[in-house]
Amino acid sequence: MKIKQKNFLVIILVVLMTFSMTMTASAEDVQKNSMRIGVTKEIDSLSPFISYSSMGFEAFMLLYNPLVGVDENLNSTPALATEWSLSDDQLVWTFKLRDDVKWSDGEPLTSDDVKFTYDLITKSGLGLYSGYLKGITSVDCPDDYTVVITTEEPKANMLLNSTPILPKHIWADVKEADLETWGNDTPVGTGPFKFGEYKKGEYLKLVVNEDYYGTKPSIDELVFVLYANTDVMTQALKLGEIDAATNMAPAQLEQLKGEKNIDAISGVGYGFTQLSFNSSNDPASKGNKLLLDKNIKKAIEFSMDKKKILDMVYGGQGTEGTTLVPPDGFYHYDPSADEMRAYDVKKANELLDSSGYKDSDGDGIREDKNGNKLSFVFSLRSENAQEDNAGQMIASMAKEVGINLNIELIDDGVLIDKIYSSDFDMFIWGWGTDLDPTTILAVMSTDQIGNLSDCNYSNKEYDNLLKVQQSKMDKNERQKVVWDMQKMIYEDAPYIILMYDNNLQAVKNDKWTNWKSIPQDGGYFFNLTNYNYLNVKPAGEAVSTQGGINTDSEKSNSGLIVLIAAIVLAVLYFVFKKKK
Amino acid sequence: MNKQYLLKKILQAIFTTFVVLVFNYFLFRVLPGNSLQMIMRNPKASAEAIEKTRILFGLNDAWYVQFYVYFKNLLSGDFGLSFLYKEPVLHVIASRIIPTVIMVGIAQIIAIVVGIFLGVVAAWRRGTKIDVVALSISLITYSMPTFWLGIVLISVFSVSLHLFPTSGMQTPGKSFDSSLEFIKDVALHLFLPVITLSLVLIGEYAITMRNSLLDVLTEDYMLTAKAKGFSDNYILKKHAIPNAMLPMITIIAINLGTIIAGTIQIETVFSWPGLGRLMYESLKNRDYPLLQGIFLLVTICVIIANLIADLAYSYIDPRVKQ
Repeated sequence: MKIKQKNFLVIILVVLMTFSMTMTASAEDVQKNSMRIGVTKEIDSLSPFISYSSMGFEAFMLLYNPLVGVDENLNSTPALATEWSLSDDQLVWTFKLRDDVKWSDGEPLTSDDVKFTYDLITKSGLGLYSGYLKGITSVDCPDDYTVVITTEEPKANMLLNSTPILPKHIWADVKEADLETWGNDTPVGTGPFKFGEYKKGEYLKLVVNEDYYGTKPSIDELVFVLYANTDVMTQALKLGEIDAATNMAPAQLEQLKGEKNIDAISGVGYGFTQLSFNSSNDPASKGNKLLLDKNIKKAIEFSMDKKKILDMVYGGQGTEGTTLVPPDGFYHYDPSADEMRAYDVKKANELLDSSGYKDSDGDGIREDKNGNKLSFVFSLRSENAQEDNAGQMIASMAKEVGINLNIELIDDGVLIDKIYSSDFDMFIWGWGTDLDPTTILAVMSTDQIGNLSDCNYSNKEYDNLLKVQQSKMDKNERQKVVWDMQKMIYEDAPYIILMYDNNLQAVKNDKWTNWKSIPQDGGYFFNLTNYNYLNVKPAGEAVSTQGGINTDSEKSNSGLIVLIAAIVLAVLYFVFKKKK
Repeated sequence: MNKQYLLKKILQAIFTTFVVLVFNYFLFRVLPGNSLQMIMRNPKASAEAIEKTRILFGLNDAWYVQFYVYFKNLLSGDFGLSFLYKEPVLHVIASRIIPTVIMVGIAQIIAIVVGIFLGVVAAWRRGTKIDVVALSISLITYSMPTFWLGIVLISVFSVSLHLFPTSGMQTPGKSFDSSLEFIKDVALHLFLPVITLSLVLIGEYAITMRNSLLDVLTEDYMLTAKAKGFSDNYILKKHAIPNAMLPMITIIAINLGTIIAGTIQIETVFSWPGLGRLMYESLKNRDYPLLQGIFLLVTICVIIANLIADLAYSYIDPRVKQ
């Protein structure tokens, strides 16, 4: 059937020719200095009133500036404000602004923009930054480059506030009701980078701000590339398709350890993973009431070999947890030798014995004097395999001291429902924290029950200290109060902090150099500063980026195509030849 | 074709769509998990923000009010706002539809062509080595886990041979001088996902075609045709394959209908910005409006595909004429 044969051959040839055309792709060198960073969570919105994602937070640090910034040691440093002073009664702040800052559309920045931004964020209560502005009663502009902020009480975190200053001439046109949906699709800012392009589900591209008031970054083009799969992201890094990768798994970090030209680090981060116990005092709560005895919770912590869990489940990437505020900062409290609950099975057993929990019926599980078994429902989030494995280990360790943890693997949605109806005993989850300790300390306050609180802890004294520390202007005084708060939590144990999470990141050091871990052992990205974006330098002269495809081997590509074509044609010929 | 028949079928389709819509609406609301708490589980989100967002989405209204509002808006083409992106649902879906359609469309076409070809060859030469080889290939590809296959292909063609990029739809952040450049870039990125999906589908089509054709070949009229002296290829083309195509049409229709949703694995491995991944993300975040929008789309696709299959059937097969 000659015609059919010919048809087939023609089709095959056309397909192959098309592909060979695409194969000889032009060398895609981007002549500018571009940096591509692999991320696993994309930005949810370009508007600071709508975004609640960590990617959003990071991007706003690049597109906008706050009044006061943070340097690589997490100390306050001038940003849009060059200097500031505080009145004697500690209630009035005076900020002097730079007079040479332009918005990316050419308009000049004035104090009006600051007043407008602060007023709007406070009034709407939306976004990641409204919490930072609590306590501010008024913002005034005596002249174009001076801002006077008055607070109700002394405000200890005024300088730690990363609220991005927004352009009044753009945002004033947005009706307040529309603030919740207006996407800010082409952001206008003063930051070191300008908005380039956003392709949902693919990447976010920023370009350098040529008119930046500060040191211009060496990066011309900054692209955050979204990867749905971290294995592939790691391969892409090795191939040079991206120059940096974030949020990797321990196994991938291991893979990269031997690679030359790649710096893979396990950076100390700002988050922790914890066991949360239902500590509600409400008699209507459906949590197991035995858990209100802190000795049981303490005993569980004594029975936990955190180092082993870290090594086996997290590849050793992380630090054993103790108190609420993570250690890479001024406010972390290190329990004293007496207070510390390190791994000690003997102590766990002693504590349980002396609290009146004995195993009377010999089934391996202790009971209280009324016969109630120390048996609790342990909810684990099915979507996080590491938490599940850690949970399994914790349960078997608790078994050793006579506490039975019944594991149930559930979906996030189910867990959240349980939390809000106080129908749980204990679970594992995590939190990200912030430069300002207030953010994480507040989670344990009474008014967050029903909102952010996931353990229903309520302590009037703690609530009071939360307010007090917000007004302690002296850093050391504030530290003392924050330490007292952490001691309280450690003593009452509504949480057992399993570990402080690390950020597993890697960068190619043959393209960009001068990387710094922020703070001392932290990550390169998502470290609450934009330090690395501003300070990395190209390794060598202007480097071009090629997308992983070896364009030198154009010849071998075409050769491959011709070979495949020949084989296919030969096969077809034989197949058709036999048909008679 | 009968106009009445066509009309009846279309009305049925519309009615089915409506029933599915209502069912989906309640199905998602029954899922445990509070959308806003899941999206805004961030210590910096203030209580006011959460309350405002609740009001924005009408989540404080009674359930029948929400139901009524949703369907009223639907009739005027408003699919609601996505909880996660705070953008109109149609907008979000529109930006992700084309990548899915391109990738799945091309993969389906390749799979159909190659699958049918393989099935025909295997059936015609039943029992010979060619049949064994074709059948083995089909069974192997049919049972391969999609995810695994994708990673293997990346490993071979991207990592080892440097022929294709690992993932994504285009080189991130690159600006193109001409559309041809852009098309070339996308084509390169398309290659691996398409091959992965095709391989997975080829097996299914090949085996079905083979079985269907084998059935036809045992029919009496095949013997008659041979007795009449027609050449093998003529019999194949004019008698055997057309009759064997009927089950194939059904399968193709079903598969085309699920074009949208069936590619989550591939989209995850290759970070392909399609609807499959979007659906998974919106499910995780309990983004009801977005989920409902995507499911509506899938429903319509499935129903239309089946409608076309129905009509094609009655066109091809004179016995089914109404």
